[in-house]
Amino acid sequence: MMQDLRVERKGRLLAVKDLPTLPTVLDEVSKLVQDPASSTEQIAKVISKDQVLSAKVLKMVNSPIYGFPRRISTIQHALVLLGFNVIKGLIISTSVFDIMAKNMIGLWEHSLGCALACSSIAKIAGLKDPEEYSVAGLLHDLGKVVATVQLPELKEEIDVLLKEKELTYIEAEVEVMGFGHDRVNAWLSDHWHLPLRLREALAWHHRPKSAQHYPDMAAVVHIGDFLTRAFEVGSGGDDHISYLKPEALEILNLKLTDLEKVLDDLGQEFVELSDFRPED
Amino acid sequence: MQKIPLNLAQPGMVLEKPVLRDNGLVLVAEGTELSEPLISRLENMGVKNIIVQGEPLELEGMAGTTSYAQRIERLDHLFRKFKDDPWMNQVKAFLKAYYEQKAAEQIQPQKQND
Repeated sequence: MMQDLRVERKGRLLAVKDLPTLPTVLDEVSKLVQDPASSTEQIAKVISKDQVLSAKVLKMVNSPIYGFPRRISTIQHALVLLGFNVIKGLIISTSVFDIMAKNMIGLWEHSLGCALACSSIAKIAGLKDPEEYSVAGLLHDLGKVVATVQLPELKEEIDVLLKEKELTYIEAEVEVMGFGHDRVNAWLSDHWHLPLRLREALAWHHRPKSAQHYPDMAAVVHIGDFLTRAFEVGSGGDDHISYLKPEALEILNLKLTDLEKVLDDLGQEFVELSDFRPED
Repeated sequence: MQKIPLNLAQPGMVLEKPVLRDNGLVLVAEGTELSEPLISRLENMGVKNIIVQGEPLELEGMAGTTSYAQRIERLDHLFRKFKDDPWMNQVKAFLKAYYEQKAAEQIQPQKQND
């Protein structure tokens, strides 16, 4: 593939014109987060100014993904419980939801399912802060959405090729665009200044061993994606199971049979979550 | 259990999960048997889906079902790209054994109705 074509496409992918706009409060909040002197209260105040956004974020926080026993009714409480990285991820996911709702509702359901699976895998692998893994699962196919919006003519080619050659979505992406949504994820993560742990999961969920800093994040999402496809929750764009790389299990010190516990959790929870939306 | 759209609900079905309001308050408790008046009340309150016991409906797609027998049937299709891959065949066998065990658990004796 010609290098300059790739550069040109990357430029179009990140062109601000149609890129999902992140709420303006996010900039303000990011500045506050970098300042060690700012309090959770201040950050919560800024997010709460945007009432529509706050309502969506609280709806996500109270969804079956997290399964809190009691309702979380304020942004401040959500920040204390989940931390800023997770709330930022939720803000991004609700911002791209509108686009998914239009023409990729199956991908939204796949993303939700993956979020649920990731939190369950993280718990079984004995990892701290399972919410961080679940938000990575929620955003793991962000690149597919952005590529669809920014390069619509290529999306059609991808869909044709999928059917013709029985390819997986990522194989068809590479054939048509010269790169897959995992690369788009890496560019978007830099563009939106996502935390490194999230970036690692998004960029390497198809190749967890290549994640240099946080292979555990990538491995959890890799297995989460596989299980969500096994249960056919929503649609990742094709109806193939994804290849479960043994290295993902090795990174987390898990055996195949350990996944039985995850499957036990998911069987019921996927059903509850299947038509959840951040807005009504 | 199965998640079904309210417009397909029938009297006699039993709620597996409570019906909740957006603020988390319980509207109707789990274990409640549906009746015509209850179904119309839920319609008026804007409830779109409910989760009922068993698998009373044949629904398209897999998201709203927990039928493991159906999952077993789908395995060959899902794994069709990896027919010759020893590791993926092992993974498939693992899933199949798990589903079979779950499917056996789902075949429960009918509840006695007095």
